[in-house]
Amino acid sequence: MKMYLRLVSALIQGVEPSDKEKKRNRIFYIVMACIAGFGIMLPMTFFVGVIIYSMTGTLSQFGTVENGVEIFLHLIAAFSFIFGLNVMFSVFYFSGDIENLLPLPLRPYQIIASKFTAALMSESVMECLVILAAMVGYILGGNMPLYSWLIAVIGTFTMPVLPLIYCGIISMTVMYFTRFIKNKDAVNKIVGIFTFAVIFGIVMLISKSGFNSDKLVEALSKPDNSVLAVMNVIFPTVPFLVKSMGTGTLLDLLIYLGINVIAVTVFMLIAQVLYFPSVVGIGQGASHSKKTLTEVIEKMKLRPVTVTYLKKEFRLLFRTPAYFTNCVMINFMCPVFVYLAYVVHQQTNFMESFIYGIHSGNEETVLEFVLGISAVSVLVTAVNCIASSGLTREGKHFSFIKYIPVPYITQLNVKALVSIVISSSGMLLCVIAACIWLHTGIKFTLFCCLLCLLSITFATYFGLYMDSVNPKLIWDDELNALRGNYNIFFNMAVAIVTEAIICAGAYLLFRFTDVGALMIIIIVFVLLMVLNAVSYLLCRYKATKNIEHI
Amino acid sequence: MIKFENVTKTYNRTVRALDDVSFHVKGGEIVGFIGPNGSGKTTTMKLLTGIIRPDSGKIVVNGFNIREDPIKVKESIGYIADSPDMFLRLKGTEFLQLIADIYKVPTEVCRERIEKLAEKFGLTQALTSPMMSYSHGMRQKIMVIAALMHKPPVWILDEPMIGLDPKSAFELKQLMREHTKEGNAVFFSTHVLEVAEKLCDRVVIIKNGHILYDGTLDDLEKQNKNESLENIFLELTEK
Repeated sequence: MKMYLRLVSALIQGVEPSDKEKKRNRIFYIVMACIAGFGIMLPMTFFVGVIIYSMTGTLSQFGTVENGVEIFLHLIAAFSFIFGLNVMFSVFYFSGDIENLLPLPLRPYQIIASKFTAALMSESVMECLVILAAMVGYILGGNMPLYSWLIAVIGTFTMPVLPLIYCGIISMTVMYFTRFIKNKDAVNKIVGIFTFAVIFGIVMLISKSGFNSDKLVEALSKPDNSVLAVMNVIFPTVPFLVKSMGTGTLLDLLIYLGINVIAVTVFMLIAQVLYFPSVVGIGQGASHSKKTLTEVIEKMKLRPVTVTYLKKEFRLLFRTPAYFTNCVMINFMCPVFVYLAYVVHQQTNFMESFIYGIHSGNEETVLEFVLGISAVSVLVTAVNCIASSGLTREGKHFSFIKYIPVPYITQLNVKALVSIVISSSGMLLCVIAACIWLHTGIKFTLFCCLLCLLSITFATYFGLYMDSVNPKLIWDDELNALRGNYNIFFNMAVAIVTEAIICAGAYLLFRFTDVGALMIIIIVFVLLMVLNAVSYLLCRYKATKNIEHI
Repeated sequence: MIKFENVTKTYNRTVRALDDVSFHVKGGEIVGFIGPNGSGKTTTMKLLTGIIRPDSGKIVVNGFNIREDPIKVKESIGYIADSPDMFLRLKGTEFLQLIADIYKVPTEVCRERIEKLAEKFGLTQALTSPMMSYSHGMRQKIMVIAALMHKPPVWILDEPMIGLDPKSAFELKQLMREHTKEGNAVFFSTHVLEVAEKLCDRVVIIKNGHILYDGTLDDLEKQNKNESLENIFLELTEK
């Protein structure tokens, strides 16, 4: 136990910023944490709580009070499973600390248990908050007794365990049976593509089933819900947790805890058998070129430094599995999620009135559409974190940026260009598809594309500046550069809050003044141009100074 | 070619890594930089290459002041960092192309140098593969090739021999000698006293951010008769 706790503590310290880093930017961290806390985490948890609260209230009339929170918790578990798969593969097999842990006299289950705990703690902070919010909404909406609060607290910290155990078991099984594949990059990329395929498959299934948001409430009001029945088999802890909160039956709580204990035990047993044979001897990914040196250098020619630097950035993003999955592929998931949003709302009153609004040139709907494009563009750029990890990704060889004879601003501009190109590839596809589908006309489509690019450029330069304040340069593996990186999270928070202020301001201006939608759109456009100039100047003068002092 | 004058560097306002350090490296000289771990060698290297800035003092490389002309200074330098694990997902040739473009090496010269240096260091077969597949020594070799690609007048090498096999270490030493014969300067840090003894025209010994000795090894041995270089070094640095 002592060994386990020491290992967990050591592994957590590898993910968290060092005390020195924390001290250096204490004020910066406090301000950013406040923005992230009050601007994102609090509103989001409040939003989740309110939804579950009202859903529980509505469903209590049909006698299916627990269905709302149950399906929500299943959804959270499913998300945790999908996004945890890549994390578990990386943590168990591809992290830099494995080479240091394997020679130590540790048993496989000790390594796995400590790595699993460290990953669970760093991955589940936001998830725990959302689960807690859902449970609070359920307890208040269903007028649950006092002991429900205690069970909610237990559930908050234990709910994320089972989905991640599934990911851990799958990762060990896959790696055990594919021991012959020594190319770790290939396996890592396949897992990323598999995750993407699963999400795409689910969206397609929903699309084909004719499912929409109106049907969801209808389905949840029925006691014999088939979707819930299937989900209860996949994540058997959820129904027992919800039941124990509602009825206060100790047996349900014990069954809930018992399932978790059994899952952990099975997981440890599997780790004891499969981990060492699958991890020992895992090789670095490297394909050998068949071309000779003479053939390759014959094609070499002197190019402008920006071109060659750009190529280097693209190559590293596409060839590094962690970056490929988290920074590149995520952009192509954006159209999938937009399609999902459309599918869920299709043939509902909301979607019909929206389409009618665009076709008839309704000012409010057009404004909503334009603001939506800007908001999603900023969000996508912040989420893919290409810009906000631009300097962090350099890691231990950050000094390369400083000793080559290329001005810092040139290097930052190239990094910005990479972010703009990759972020806009998925977003422009979405915007153009939406405009064609809504028959908005060429001029409006071009305007929307321009607005999308402006929003992305603003978020990009701002992200680069944020990363320059305190880049996380010490990490074991590339996933670690992105995971638990406060810069990325804070940048996301600031970008979202800024965009939310713009959108809310524009909308309120439209609702409560006589200013027309066209004028407001022009104001938003000009505001985005000003923000672009400000964020570029921040990079040019502040970020370059920050780099000098790193 | 290198003027390092009255340079002081403090980390986090508490740790004084260099305290009023001064030394010069002239053209045609190979100067070894010796000192125990944590004595300030890497800090000096980083200051010379513009990776970090001094608190006070003056650094001039190839006639350019690093504060006023940082880009000119960087163009004049060929630098080998202490860790060769850089851009491992690039192929060797892709990395060298990047370096050639950064330092604006003409196409023909670039091709010729890559072929020549790759053959010298036994990397001809490996250069077309990703650097991830290289051993530590091979990675160090490609860093050496990259640093020499643009034929810079000043070489600043941080522990360049680490990881090199005997043949490659020999080749690098030869290249250093040839380079200084053309009037250029080499400044390199090392822990291996034999290397310093056989290669250097002069050595600078540093401890706790202070220069203990700056001169030729012959003079140092004359001052401490009947003592091996190893003993002299230990006596100097353990005082």
